[in-house]
Amino acid sequence: MNLAEGVQIVSFGLLGLAMIGAALGVVLLQNIVYSAFLLGGVFISISGLYLLLNADFVAAAQVLIYVGAVNVLILFAIMLVNKQEDFDPIIGRWVRQGATALVCFGLFSLLGVMVLQTSWSSSTSGAKPAVDTTVLLGEHFFSDFLLPFELASVLLLMALVGAIVIARREYLPEEIVSPQQQPPLTLPERARQPIAISAGTSSSPQSTSE
Amino acid sequence: MFVLSGYEYLLGFILVVSTVPVLALTASKLLRPSGRDPETRTTYESGMEPKGGAWIQFNIRYYMFALVFVIFDVETVFLYPWAVAFHRLGLLGFVEALIFIAILIVGLVYAWRKGALEWS
Repeated sequence: MNLAEGVQIVSFGLLGLAMIGAALGVVLLQNIVYSAFLLGGVFISISGLYLLLNADFVAAAQVLIYVGAVNVLILFAIMLVNKQEDFDPIIGRWVRQGATALVCFGLFSLLGVMVLQTSWSSSTSGAKPAVDTTVLLGEHFFSDFLLPFELASVLLLMALVGAIVIARREYLPEEIVSPQQQPPLTLPERARQPIAISAGTSSSPQSTSE
Repeated sequence: MFVLSGYEYLLGFILVVSTVPVLALTASKLLRPSGRDPETRTTYESGMEPKGGAWIQFNIRYYMFALVFVIFDVETVFLYPWAVAFHRLGLLGFVEALIFIAILIVGLVYAWRKGALEWS
């Protein structure tokens, strides 16, 4: 074992510990803002793992997109959520929790079986580190992965249009329920407010926070 | 095989950057007066008194901007390998990238027309 391998093993262990710890914090912490910031830590650790695998462009893209954009989006979504309201307790909550646990355990065991049954040695022994992975990625994008590349743009277009359509609901619901008659919220969701941004009656933070 | 060459500067940056907050916090802890009167505990020592909770609902426009930013961030990341390998790809790669950009410009035009990029 030379020095590079030792550095690799140590940094892999550190990154794995940081990632698992941050992921546990995401799940277990009560404050959702802490969870969002720890999720950024998880993403950064994954980017470090990409660096260890000589995938420098993927690591940079991971930091750029996940930490810089997706995590900011999650934080903005948290900022959109109102402060804590009193919700009715969900009936049959343990059934939902049990189902969630079952699904999560099933996914975990599926991934575990996949990891154990894959013969990793054949794929890593003869692999030569690429000189410049970005150039290789570009060549693959525009030769044999052209269709997924173009489909990615269509997917981005769909995401953009759909997000705009959902976020800017340009209609008022037909029956506007007055706040006194509203039934108590049952799901952990905020009540849908009628908004019409295009009509100029936007909801400012001052008017809604009361 | 593992080649971690060329990352010495990154490692140095990480080391330097991680010492900055530690040094800043410890220096301010050593330098500041330790006396605590209730005026220093306020959020803005010479400003307005904050009222209510800090957790208010923000405007949805922040979310719209972040959403549009994510889309075009991903587009930029996809275009970066094309720009690096531009000389090897030739005219065909140029046309393919133009198609990619044209599809996304449709989304940009849609967002523009719907006013998602305006703040007012």
